[in-house]
Formats: sequence, C-alpha cells, structure tokens
Amino acid sequence: MNDDILSIRGLTKNFYGVSALGGADFTLRRGEIHALIGENGAGKSTFIKILAGVYDKDGGEIRLDGRIVDPRAERLPIAFVHQDNAFAEDLSVAENVAFGVGYPRRMGLIDWAAVNRQAIDIYKAMDVEPLHPERMVSTLSAAEKAILSIVRKLAHTPQVLVLDEPTAALPEADSVQLFEAMRRLSDKGTSMIYVSHRLNELFGLCDRVTTFRDGRHVATEDMAETTIDRLVEHMLGQPARALAANKDMAEPTGRVALRVDSLVVEGRGPIGFDIREGEILGLVGLRGGGQEAVGRAIFGALPMEAGTISLFGRALPYKRTIGQSIEAGVRLLAGNRAFESAFAGMSLSENILVNPRIRGESPWRWTTPARERAAVRELLDRFDIRPRRENALIDWLSGGNQQKACLARWLGDNGRLLILEEPTAGVDIGAKLAIHDILRKSAAAGASMLVISTDVEEVAALCQRAIIVNRGRNGVELSGAELTVENLISHSSQGVRNAA
Amino acid sequence: MSSSGNEASAPTAARTGAKAGSGVVNFAANYGLAVIFVLVLIVFGLLRPDTYLSQSNISNLLTSQAVTALLALAVMMPLTTGRFDLSVGYHVGFAQIMAIGLQVNGGLSWPAAAAIVIVLSIVIGAVNGFLVMRLRIDSFIATMGVGSLLYGISNWYTDGMQIAGFDLPDGYSGLAGAVAGIPIPAIVVAIVGAILWIVLERIPAGRGLYFIGSNPRAAELSGVDVERSVAATFVVAGMLCGVAGVLLGAILRSGTPSVGPEYLLPAFAAALLGATSIRPGRVNVGGTLLAILILAFAFSGVQQLGAAFYVEYLFNGAILIVAVALSVYAAARRRKAAAGSGAGN
Repeated sequence: MNDDILSIRGLTKNFYGVSALGGADFTLRRGEIHALIGENGAGKSTFIKILAGVYDKDGGEIRLDGRIVDPRAERLPIAFVHQDNAFAEDLSVAENVAFGVGYPRRMGLIDWAAVNRQAIDIYKAMDVEPLHPERMVSTLSAAEKAILSIVRKLAHTPQVLVLDEPTAALPEADSVQLFEAMRRLSDKGTSMIYVSHRLNELFGLCDRVTTFRDGRHVATEDMAETTIDRLVEHMLGQPARALAANKDMAEPTGRVALRVDSLVVEGRGPIGFDIREGEILGLVGLRGGGQEAVGRAIFGALPMEAGTISLFGRALPYKRTIGQSIEAGVRLLAGNRAFESAFAGMSLSENILVNPRIRGESPWRWTTPARERAAVRELLDRFDIRPRRENALIDWLSGGNQQKACLARWLGDNGRLLILEEPTAGVDIGAKLAIHDILRKSAAAGASMLVISTDVEEVAALCQRAIIVNRGRNGVELSGAELTVENLISHSSQGVRNAA
Repeated sequence: MSSSGNEASAPTAARTGAKAGSGVVNFAANYGLAVIFVLVLIVFGLLRPDTYLSQSNISNLLTSQAVTALLALAVMMPLTTGRFDLSVGYHVGFAQIMAIGLQVNGGLSWPAAAAIVIVLSIVIGAVNGFLVMRLRIDSFIATMGVGSLLYGISNWYTDGMQIAGFDLPDGYSGLAGAVAGIPIPAIVVAIVGAILWIVLERIPAGRGLYFIGSNPRAAELSGVDVERSVAATFVVAGMLCGVAGVLLGAILRSGTPSVGPEYLLPAFAAALLGATSIRPGRVNVGGTLLAILILAFAFSGVQQLGAAFYVEYLFNGAILIVAVALSVYAAARRRKAAAGSGAGN
C-alpha cells in the first residue's frame, strides 16, 4: 500500500488571467504533520480552497489513497479548520460540537444527554481533557476555542485534517496546548496539513515542511534538517535579510517621554517603567500576563486603578477618554485588526484619515476629496501600501497592506508615544520587515514606542529593551546583547513557573 | 446636490476603468438610480403626456413627498451608524398634532407653536438616543416603544378625534405654498439635505458616523466618541420629525391622530434604496433623495394609469425588499469586485 495518503501533481488555477497556482505539487504521508508555508499570495489559500472544493482546479490531479478524486464532486474524508473560528458563542460546547457533527436523537427529538456525551467522547478520543459540555463557548480561552474548532470536525473521522493558521489569533503560550492535541491526533494516524506564518512554531510540531512561492512548489524538507533562515530564503527567493537586529542603534539618551509609575489595571500590578524619546520598549509575557491591559490603560481605553502616567513630565489626567489621550499625543495600534482596527467596506483613504485629531486638525473643519487625496497619496508612498489607490476598499488589500494602512493612520507627525499591539500579526514576512523598517525610522526621528507582542522574534529584533510582564508586574528586564529570543522565551516561561 | 456628491467617486470610476467595461459597471453602480429616474419620467411622460409632467402634478408631488423625504433623511442618520429609528412614523404624527393643537387649543402664534414642536421633537430624539446608548436597549426595541408611547399620547391629547384647523393663520398654511413656483416644503428638504450632505461628506466629524457603522470598536479606539455620536443621530432624526410634522400640519390643515405610521415604511425604503446609488453600499443623502423622487414619480405614474388605491402598499413593500436586496448586493459586489484587481497590483 502507498505511503502517501494525499498526492497532488501540477495543480494550476487562474483568476481572470492572473495565475494563482502555476503547477503546485504536494504530498502528504500517512500520519505526518506537514507544514505548508509561503508569503501572502504564494498560493496556499488557493491550494486549500481547491482541496476543499471551493474552487475548481484548472489543471493537475489530486490523488487520495492512490485514487484520482474530484473535491467538487464527492465528499472526501478531509476536514478543514480555518483561522476565523466562528462559533455560536452563547451556546454550549456540546451544542457547538453537535452543529458540526449532528444532534443525536431519540424518537425524533434531540437527546440532550447524548449531545453532551458525544462532545466528551470526541475529546476523549482525541486524548484531550474534555471541557464541561455545558460550558458556554463565550467563556472559553482562545486555546480552548482553537481545540474545539478541531474537535467539532472530528466526528466524521477525517483521514486528513487541514489547519489554516489556527494559531493566528492565538498567543504563543496558548498554542502549546493546541500543538499537544495535534500531536496526539497524529499519533492516532490522522495526517495533517498545517498552514502558518509563524515559522518558529513549526519546529518540534511538524515532520516536514513544503514552501510555495508564486504559486509553485519550491521545496519540501524534513523539519529536522532545515532552519528558519533556509525557510525564509525559500519563501522570499533570496537570502534572508534577517529580522535585522536593532542592537546597533545608539542607546537612547533623549528625554523621558513616558513614565509609568505603580500602575494598577484590572486588579493587577503595580508596574512601572520609563521610555525615552526614540526608544522602542517591548512588553512581553504569556497570555494573561497583563501586558495588553498596561498599553490599553496608557491609551485611556481601560481605567487605571492606581498609579500615575506622565508624558514628558506632565501627568495625564487619572480619568480620561481616548480622545484626550490622542490629543496628548498617545497612539494605539490595536492588535486584532479585523475587530478593532480596520473599517471593512470603507476606502483606504477613509481608513487612514479616520480621526483628524490624530494629525492635529479639527474634525469640524471643512475638507474636500482633493485635499484628502493629496494627504493619503503621500502616505501610500511613504508606507509603500499597495494598491496605490486611495479609493480601494480596505477589504481588497492583503493582510500586510491592511496593517500598513492602519499604521499609517496613527503615524502622523504629532504622535509622541506609539503603543503597538502585535504590530505584525498575520502579515507575511516581507510586510513584517517593511513594518519594522517604518517603525525604526519613526523611532530614529524621535517617536517613542511601546511594543506589546507575543512574537519574541519580533521583540528581539525591534526593541532596544524588553520587560517581561508577570501578572501585571515588572519581571526580568532585558536589553542590549541579552535581548535574545532564547532569553525572552526562557525568562517568560520561568516567570510563570515562579508565580505558579 | 446629487451630482456634487459624486466628486469623490467619479475619479475612482475613471481610474479603475483600466479594465474595459468596468467603467460602465461603476457608472451603473453610482448613477443607476438617476438613470432609472430619467427612464421613469420618459415612460410616464409619453404614456400620459397631458398630465404627468404638468406643473401642477410636479409641484403636488414635491409638496406631498417633502414629509416622506424629511423622514427618510431622519431614519438615514441613525442608519449610518447601524441603528434603526422606528419611531419616526408615530413621531411625525405627534408633531403634526401638536403643531395644530398648540395653535387651535393653545392659542399660540404659529412660529411659537412650530418652535415648541421642534424643541419637543429634539427632546424625543434625545430620549431615543439615551435609551439606545446609555441604557443599551437595542435601537429596534427602544424606538418601537417610544413610537407607541407617542401614538398613545397623540390619541390621549386628541381623544382620538381630528383637531380641525379652521382659522389657521395664513403664514402657517402658507408653508404648504410655493415661492417662485417652487413648493416651500421642497425648499426645506433641499436645505436640510444640503446641510446633511455637508456634514456627512465634507466634515470629518460627520463621516465618523460611517466608521461607527462599519466597526464600532475600531471607531472607539480611533477616538470617535461613539456614544455621543450615535445619540446625536437620534437627536437629528427627532428634530427632522418635528420639522416634518410642522409642514404636515400646514399641508393637512388639521391635526389627525391616525396620520403618521404609514410614513415609516416609505422612509426606510427610500433610505435603503438610496444606499444602492451615489455611494453604493452605504446610506447617503444624494441616494436617499433620488430614491424619494423615483418612488414618488413612479407611483404617481402608476396612479395616473388608473391603479387602485391598494397598489401603493404593494408598491412600497416590494420596493423595500428590492432596495435592501440591492444594497446588500451592491455592498457585497463592491467588496468582492476587486479580489482580482487588488491582487493584481
């Protein structure tokens, strides 16, 4: 019998004459976890959508267990878990499982006891500690939801499970739980295709990795025999301009821009730190470490419970609105782009020019399309946002360009302190490097930044100094040569052990 | 006004017109309603050449539709932020009764009565805003409740009877008249429309309302005062109901408690049909007023061909459903359209 469960040869797909896949190959072995990586636009999504039967392929063949199949015409034992897990939040875990699997019935009516048992059984079959089946989905953590999104696909006992960036919205620490569940499933013989932008998490999780570029297969390697640099090189088609380290930047000696003293938010703290002019400070921590709340409190989006926050020596009012913080020069790029940052259905121009106060203008001032066009075009050039069409809807843009547009909204000339939550989450490596570049230039021009990220590579590359936040308090502080990915990981996990 | 509303979108059509044919599609999307309007005029003008495009028919239509137009603009304001004001029908009825009642029963001069009515209406709008934003009651429920309260008060005040306006001052009934051949109610609509257009299209603070409609959380984090802005849209809606009520009293020359509810549906139909044009995918002033013109002139044409009275309800219901279907489709199409062209860049 064949060792490959899934074998795909020469898959092609064009959209309106533009090639999305130009002959992609892919093989999945029985029981392996196989990573699929590539920049945005490399063809991963198209590939998966063809497999799911969403698109019809233009050419090529798909073999499942050696047999040529057509995903459009038949129901295949392949299950898909997408990055945007949509649940019925106000219903129970068991009911959400039942949506995917079906409601067990007795005499034509729903057998609620069996609905609950069914959920528990699937969790157990996966070797995962079952959640209480009657818990409301809205009370679950991000990791629990990610696992639930897999669980509800499993009753159909798929031979192949395709996971499309399940960790995109998941803090790094939470991913661990998901990975354990995945490994148990693979031990039981399920084969998995795992799509992710987070290269470092592939090591230790996946067996092999395939890279796509421009709709074609570039390489398939054993995880054990490759490195992040090699993968980035495959993705970009050129040697990695590594996430250039920031260590060569001069020690910031400017005035203290932000001083946070004994800040308590959401019942946690106190925490305190300074950021100088032109300095990029990272706040790192595990999920629930409280670092996000610190940024939000500085911005005025969460109430402070104690402490003081001052900008250039002037204390900000204890109770203040977001509008007041913006007037004072504080900016916040929210981490969850779809829910908290991008305005779907609105143009690029509108997405950038949301609030004139950010640029020091009155929102009651008469404006004209011509004036706005001039302002936005300059920003599109400066941030290299594509397309260069201010009237394009933001929905049309790639994740990286959307994020640059959101960044352009906040990086006017009047910003004194920029708070960035996960500034490059869900963007491809090219856009990530570009965004880091923009931020460094801004810092060099005197802006101060607070980067709140669970991406330790990013913090190591971008920040001059990082504080590991532990339950809302100051933990270890790393800077200069000590600010490395390894140190960040080891200290943040230790922090939790000590606290526990 | 509708033509100047396109300064922003016309250049888009030109630039995205690189692909053959997409310029035509864009033109249809932006000006579809205007084209339909012209077609309506031509068709009925040819079928009923003597009466349809006569001065008296046109000015009758403009006068009678002014109230619907003001109410359509009223419901449009909360709609920009994704909220519904279902109280406008009962509200305009209430305002109309008060405008007549304060003069007939209260003996007030007409400007005083009008001023009091408009202030009352602003307060009612503020109550809607308070219920929706402070008490967090769904706008559907809150405004339905307020509407029913107003209906109750109207009937209480009049005991369910019509207030006859026998000797209303000429100044007041003159509001239903015309200046230089143009009906005064239509002039009021034009002024209100121009102000709202400026606010929504040329003043960033007004455009902030659309941000709330698109993503309230992101709007808040961008420094938009969501609570106050949404409440303000209900206040504006209330004020427009008051203005419409004063005009309606002058047109009817009586205070009738049963008048009002039938305005709700056409108002929503116009605002939502308007969202398919000028600025496809979102409610807007130009589109709303164009939609009012189409609805009025098309229905008048059907009437002149001898349609029965109940056709109006069939007509309005069908338009509402078609309008919503079209605006959903326009928005979806616009978002998808460029999956291809965006990726190509």
